[in-house]
Amino acid sequence: MSFARTRIKGLVYCDSRTAFHGLTLYTPVEGRAVMLVDLLGKQVNRWSLSHDAASTAQLLPNGNLLCGEKSGDEPLADLEGTGGIVQELGREGRLVWEHRDPALHHAPFRLRNGNTLVMKWIEVPDRIASQVEGGEPGTERDGVMWGDLIQEIDPDARVVWEWIAHERIKPEDFRRCPLCPRDTWTHGNGCTELPNGNIMVSFAKTNTVAIIDKRSGEILWHWGSNGELAHQHAPSLLENGNILIFDNGFHPQGLALNYSRVVEVDRKKREMVWSYEGPEGGALKMLFYSSMYSNCQRLPNGNTLVCEGMTGRIFEITACQTLVWEYVNAFPGPEKATSPSVSRSYPVYGAYRYGHDYPGLSGLKV
Amino acid sequence: MTAEGAYDTERLCNRNHNTREGATKVSIAKSALKGVTYYDEKKASGGYTLFSTYNYDVWLIDMEGYIVNHWRMPYSPGSHQWLLPSGNLLHAGMLKSHDEMGLPVEMTAIGGVLVEVDWYSNLVWKAMAPYSNHDICPMDNGHVMYHSYNPGGILPDDLARKMTGGIPGSEFEGQVWGDMVHELDRDGKIVWEWKACEHLDPVLDRSCMLENRTLWPYINSLWICRDGNVLMSLRAANEAIKVDYKTGEIIARYGKGKIFHQHDARELDNGNIMILDNGNHRPFYGPNYSRVVELDPDTDEIVWEYRADYPPDFYTPVCAGAERMPNGNTVICDSWTGRIFEVTYEGELVWEYISPFIGYQVGMTTTMMWRAHRYLSDFPGLQGKNTDPKRFPLENRLFGPDSFERDFVPSVF
Repeated sequence: MSFARTRIKGLVYCDSRTAFHGLTLYTPVEGRAVMLVDLLGKQVNRWSLSHDAASTAQLLPNGNLLCGEKSGDEPLADLEGTGGIVQELGREGRLVWEHRDPALHHAPFRLRNGNTLVMKWIEVPDRIASQVEGGEPGTERDGVMWGDLIQEIDPDARVVWEWIAHERIKPEDFRRCPLCPRDTWTHGNGCTELPNGNIMVSFAKTNTVAIIDKRSGEILWHWGSNGELAHQHAPSLLENGNILIFDNGFHPQGLALNYSRVVEVDRKKREMVWSYEGPEGGALKMLFYSSMYSNCQRLPNGNTLVCEGMTGRIFEITACQTLVWEYVNAFPGPEKATSPSVSRSYPVYGAYRYGHDYPGLSGLKV
Repeated sequence: MTAEGAYDTERLCNRNHNTREGATKVSIAKSALKGVTYYDEKKASGGYTLFSTYNYDVWLIDMEGYIVNHWRMPYSPGSHQWLLPSGNLLHAGMLKSHDEMGLPVEMTAIGGVLVEVDWYSNLVWKAMAPYSNHDICPMDNGHVMYHSYNPGGILPDDLARKMTGGIPGSEFEGQVWGDMVHELDRDGKIVWEWKACEHLDPVLDRSCMLENRTLWPYINSLWICRDGNVLMSLRAANEAIKVDYKTGEIIARYGKGKIFHQHDARELDNGNIMILDNGNHRPFYGPNYSRVVELDPDTDEIVWEYRADYPPDFYTPVCAGAERMPNGNTVICDSWTGRIFEVTYEGELVWEYISPFIGYQVGMTTTMMWRAHRYLSDFPGLQGKNTDPKRFPLENRLFGPDSFERDFVPSVF
């Protein structure tokens, strides 16, 4: 517990002249709900989930919510990120569409064609697993190493495209974290569709962000496994062609002054062109850290929304890194902690800001 | 920068400007509340807390957060201070940073000089301690034990080749530096010396797979046990060892596989060993956290542990330490974020202090502190000392309990 640092909840700071106006959707890890709040931290909508959330929910252009949930009885429930249920919920919480598969993990992504991209655990064949270096021998899950399978499914849950990581990745190209258990190899933790239809994916345990050619399945670009990233999350392609990544800083190489960063990477030059490493231009690194979860989003006005997931803290900074908005999740705890025994962080998987002109918000009373 | 002497009012005020809400525009939720933020008078053990941030000031505060002594040191700290039973303060001073000495970042918390001052900051004793770093340990006979990156401890090539762990090829200019431990007498003469590379096992004392091979085993704490032997925390090797003072041999290893990049291994009055397990580079994939563990030295079993109710709420990847109080409470220094707190044996928070001070270390402006110590009112070094906060009206106006907001009001505009 940290009484001082976990006491302040709800809206902390709002500079409405510079913040990007819109609503913030965020997914608490605990409490089975997804929240939509305005700039003043007031709740505009709240979806109740039938199960525990498994990943960051998204608001679709049709106003529905797409979220990953976990039934709790998935055979691989112990692997981080597992959630065997994908649901699309209407604004009032009505179930519109559902897809169940006990091997699903991390967030589903709705494609422009209406299909859904999902990630699944798949067994890595022994002959490949034995070539994968890194991790203490014997830390496989019952002798098995699990890899990633990405599927595109249509509304009737038919698989129309799939991609198997261990068929495309050479173990020596994606260096695996030497400290993580060998229960999973690449441990994908999110995938999105790029404007040209290709797929961008983040692999936590190889510290890699990769772009997959949708047609050929080839990996067109990958970056991060040479010490640049440490168990990152949520890469997104920016309009300028760069990639924005939440670099958690878990198991970093070298002296472990663990801290998180938001990094913007030039894809062609393969170098970092902008980064946020904590307050005061990175001087106070100790005030920004989330070992797991988290995401970041570049907003239309150039600001960046950051979700420091482990602490449930969501904030917005300008390109010059000035704080313009800060909000701390209290759900499902008390709104104001008056004693240290109830003062703790309530984590959040991730957050997105939607401008008031986003089609998915039309007709919503704000 | 003045060494000993008058207060530098402007500097204090500037620092205050840095730490007040509104000036630091990020992470308000984490930085707005400062000073003593919680105090359960009935359950806390009482006494005075000693700490410093990375500047020239050392502070002693009472349980309410009033400043009762302020030392101005001739050197900024390489690490920390001890209040001695004589009432003097032993300070690990920094002559040059690792950067200025051309050493890699692993060789941080470097010192170079040991200083003893009286209650009023007057210099009593000073000794050069080249390459000293991290911990200093005052001994009953008045000597001081410290450890160093003395080049004499660099691993011979054949041992460096045999040494396991670490990122391949990450040696410092092709070499693995080793630690040395030295005992200084009052004349500044070395009367006892121990070289890690002569005693460590290159396989048994394997380094962490994700650390650079610049330094091994990376000692970061020293403690003289009641049997006269020396307990050392080996950061890179993820273990604590007990070294026979007479022969130099390693007679016990503690915590292997349980503690990761730990600090502050000490022997408790009950004979157990308490260690702050920082937990970075813990070989798992999950929410990261730090904890304090008490190990039974005979079985190496963890017999007591403190971690936060929601474990990530206490996480310090660097420094830090924990002290067991006579009433069973534990005072913990959460170094990275500049927080000192006290928990009962059951793990209930009974006191918390957030340092309002800012220092400069490892190229960062930092709220970090290396380690804090709690001294009860009956501590011999405090007898006859003036602990009236009124001696420090300026300091208390700027950093005392009345200078901090008790409640938080969000800013909206």
